[in-house]
Amino acid sequence: MIAYTTPPHANPHPRLRPSRYWIAAGITAVLVLALVASSILNYVYLDTIPARTSLYGLLAVALISLGTYILVRAFERDRAMRRKHLIRAGVLIGLGVLLWLLVIDVFVFTQSAGPGVAAICALACLPTTAFGLVVVRRLDRNEKEPWRLVLVAAAWGAIVATSLVVWGEGVWEMTADRSLVPGPGLDASLAYMAGVLEELAKGSAVVLLYLVMRDDFDDVVDGIVYGAAVGLGFNFMETVTYMTNLYSIYSPEGLGLFSAGIQWYARQGLGLFFGHATYTAFIGAGLGIARQLASRRQKLMVIASGFIVAIAAHFAWDAWISLFPIDNTLFGLVEVHLRTLIMNGPFTAAVIALLIFGVRYEGQSLRNQLQKESALGVGAILPEEVPILASPWQRLKQRLIAFSRGGLHAYFNIARLQTAQLDLAMERWHRERQEIDTPLDAEARLRRRVVELRRSTWA
Amino acid sequence: MSAITYDQLRTLYRTMLVFATVGVLILIAGLIEFVYFEPPGQASGVAAHVAGVFAYDSSTGETSGSDRSEFPRTQQFAAVVDWSSLPDNITVDAKWFDAFGDIVGKAGPGTPSELAGHRIVPVVVPPGFHHSLPGRYEFVVERIKGGFAVEVIGRRFVVVQRT
Repeated sequence: MIAYTTPPHANPHPRLRPSRYWIAAGITAVLVLALVASSILNYVYLDTIPARTSLYGLLAVALISLGTYILVRAFERDRAMRRKHLIRAGVLIGLGVLLWLLVIDVFVFTQSAGPGVAAICALACLPTTAFGLVVVRRLDRNEKEPWRLVLVAAAWGAIVATSLVVWGEGVWEMTADRSLVPGPGLDASLAYMAGVLEELAKGSAVVLLYLVMRDDFDDVVDGIVYGAAVGLGFNFMETVTYMTNLYSIYSPEGLGLFSAGIQWYARQGLGLFFGHATYTAFIGAGLGIARQLASRRQKLMVIASGFIVAIAAHFAWDAWISLFPIDNTLFGLVEVHLRTLIMNGPFTAAVIALLIFGVRYEGQSLRNQLQKESALGVGAILPEEVPILASPWQRLKQRLIAFSRGGLHAYFNIARLQTAQLDLAMERWHRERQEIDTPLDAEARLRRRVVELRRSTWA
Repeated sequence: MSAITYDQLRTLYRTMLVFATVGVLILIAGLIEFVYFEPPGQASGVAAHVAGVFAYDSSTGETSGSDRSEFPRTQQFAAVVDWSSLPDNITVDAKWFDAFGDIVGKAGPGTPSELAGHRIVPVVVPPGFHHSLPGRYEFVVERIKGGFAVEVIGRRFVVVQRT
């Protein structure tokens, strides 16, 4: 038997809610200014060729940002307006991508390896990153995040976050190289640089999603999904950069392909979930927990905690990787795997623990709401459906039974019905905890949609 | 009978705080490491005179040409240090680092007079390679204390081109 304690409401002052949009606008303004300043300063003070690419890249970043914003908002508009906004978003993103490809062609490392090598490296990383995103999205067993937001998160990690850190890392690295003694002290300084700057740049994407897309940012599970997606995007771009760089360094010795392949395996195979995905997932977890907390102090504490763990995990890898040297023998292959497991494994295990706990918490809360909804007797959720909807395996079983009886059409009809029912339960959960801005009418609309879907499914 | 919801949220919150505490300890450990290897107050005011970085012929062990900051990868090169510019009561060494931070050339450690015969410090091509790897190389003259480098008293950067 389960008893529910009464939680304090996460947002007890609805009139204060819109302030988060101002915070989001403020963060966005700071990020845009940082990007502009970074690009101009890069161009003036750092190596001119990569700096120029970062300056040209600004327009691509702006187009992609605007396009993704319109894309995300398009789904909140009525059907008539949605198509228009989707086309507008598609054109802007397309232009941004084309411009970005041009930028990539002359990017500091790709210029030496050549655009062909850069394109091959990017193509090699696409399937693994896509696989990572599919896995990460499926982590939320009860209510999967919309693809558009998962892709926006990954795009931010790949394009915006990497652009944000160029200037900061350039200045830090140059200053440290010219003033510190080469060795562990310098390594520690550079590890602080990577940990702090890269996690702040990646984390800002998750913070913006938390502030703006509150309806699709339900809890700790969603936070982990978005955080990991940003990390996977960042990892994609970093891998392309490392692969092309090492290819250009080692190709005159005939080892270009081999060294690029080693990088690919280390970052896109072995390290796909262990590195950036794990670090930024901590930031997402902190924000996801904050989403449901009542006290502002606790919210700030847990958000700061997420950032601290992410920075520390990233720092530990960069600073202490030299403690695990790899032999130039066959045993080196084993050592590479052991090093990743020993150094990043505990952090990934910690994220998985948070995830399992979060999924369990979410599942129990949804079951509670499903029971309450079925008790209303309006027909959106029937009492006999509660145990099925509360279990991902039972839901799958129901869909497979539908498939065996009516084929794909029946499978997708049931899937749509189940999704709508879970959306309703989630809406109820957030409403009970006063965590949403939408009026009660939104819940009634969801209920009507479920009834309509049920009718069409049975028809 | 188990109580859920708020208790579970509280557990998640506390777990994150525990993780953050571990994170803070890691960052503090990093700070201690940094201070240990970069101890404050080590500026001695001593500066090594690096005469320059020149083309190097490994067969004769001599340098040639003018001081340069860029070399093609097929060209061997070496730094020339005027050890007599340093007081003899300190221990020093000289090292070359490649773009990956690996040591690819070294002289010392020893007192400046002991190193007088190592005026030329060449970059050594890594075993198994035909030429130096491209990238930015760093040459440092370090002051040694207690067995490890505490201060860089001379520094030069050189770029090895890819072509």
